[in-house]
Amino acid sequence: MNCTVVPSEHTPHGYMLMPHRVWTYLILLIGCAVGALAQNTSQTTTVTTPFSAQVTHLLGFGTAPRNAKGTLSIQDNALQFQKEGKPAMEVKIASVQDVCLGDQSRQVGGVPMTLTKAAVPFGGGRVVSLFAHKNYDTVSLQYVDESGAVHGAIFELSKGQGEILRKELVAKGVRVSQNEDAATKQSTEVPSENK
Amino acid sequence: MKTSKRVSWILLAMAIVTIIFAPPRLSAQTATAKSSSGNGGSGAVQWSVQVDKVNPGDVDLEPAFRVAIYENLVDELGKTKRFQQVFRDSDRNTSAVPNLLILKTTVQKYTAGSETRRAVTTVSGATKLTVRSQLCTRGGQVILERTVDGNVRFLGSNLRATHNLARNVAKTIKQSSLPEPSLTAPAQGAQ
Repeated sequence: MNCTVVPSEHTPHGYMLMPHRVWTYLILLIGCAVGALAQNTSQTTTVTTPFSAQVTHLLGFGTAPRNAKGTLSIQDNALQFQKEGKPAMEVKIASVQDVCLGDQSRQVGGVPMTLTKAAVPFGGGRVVSLFAHKNYDTVSLQYVDESGAVHGAIFELSKGQGEILRKELVAKGVRVSQNEDAATKQSTEVPSENK
Repeated sequence: MKTSKRVSWILLAMAIVTIIFAPPRLSAQTATAKSSSGNGGSGAVQWSVQVDKVNPGDVDLEPAFRVAIYENLVDELGKTKRFQQVFRDSDRNTSAVPNLLILKTTVQKYTAGSETRRAVTTVSGATKLTVRSQLCTRGGQVILERTVDGNVRFLGSNLRATHNLARNVAKTIKQSSLPEPSLTAPAQGAQ
């Protein structure tokens, strides 16, 4: 019997193996290149995209009302706050003298939630209060107007957004106060009573 | 005869009108005089005030609290109507103001609270602030000094303590009697 044993993975022509390997390496190479390119692109996007976030204006920024929700953004060389449907208010970044980061924990739901919790029998509302709170970043700005008068403004941002804003402002030349680091560590929400 | 009667009627009418309208004018003048002499700040010459930035002193106060106290003080002092104008720190316009007082605020005590603890326990977690407020002249003479508290014990965020504090400071100043401002104040020199 003139039979030859051929392995199942045997390819009749040896040179055919080379293109497979080359293709594999080529595909891997292209994949890595595309990945790296995408990473670079995303990094570039992160750096170049100006800061914009939904915030709560607590007080002090121009004529914006207190506790107003709106969009805080950096437009060119100005820090801009715009409440929906209202004209934007802006402060030149060059006039910002100081920026400080802090954090605080607040009960969510406002007055309706507070009343509801009070109405829950057997102190059940207190248990709800244990979980119905959220941590926020607060960014305090100190800036001067045309006549040199000092103004202060406080914004409440989602956790993590405050640091991004602070970095962006620092990158644009805003000074950070010396006790900022200590203040960042200190929270208005203290865990122990002896504070 | 008819003419003289007409003249006399006219004179009588004028006399009645004079009698009716003269006394209220006099009483109004008296009221004005009373108000100007009764309240030292609400007379023809009024003080203006400049709110200085909050001095944290030795207290480790969060920057947001410092900013909030300062801004609330500016707001609340404006509401009192006790001062002709309320200026902010470093305002260049104050150089032209003749009767200027400077409000200096130094934090003496700060107890950080917790809104969650207040909501859960009711009795603990209060945020407490104590400051020393001084009203000084440009020359540095202290004309009013008070220690004022501002707390939030039940409802509201921690920063509400700064609002309560500023309101108490404004109330204290409003209830205090300030000396009459002298018109020669700008001659005391620049700040």
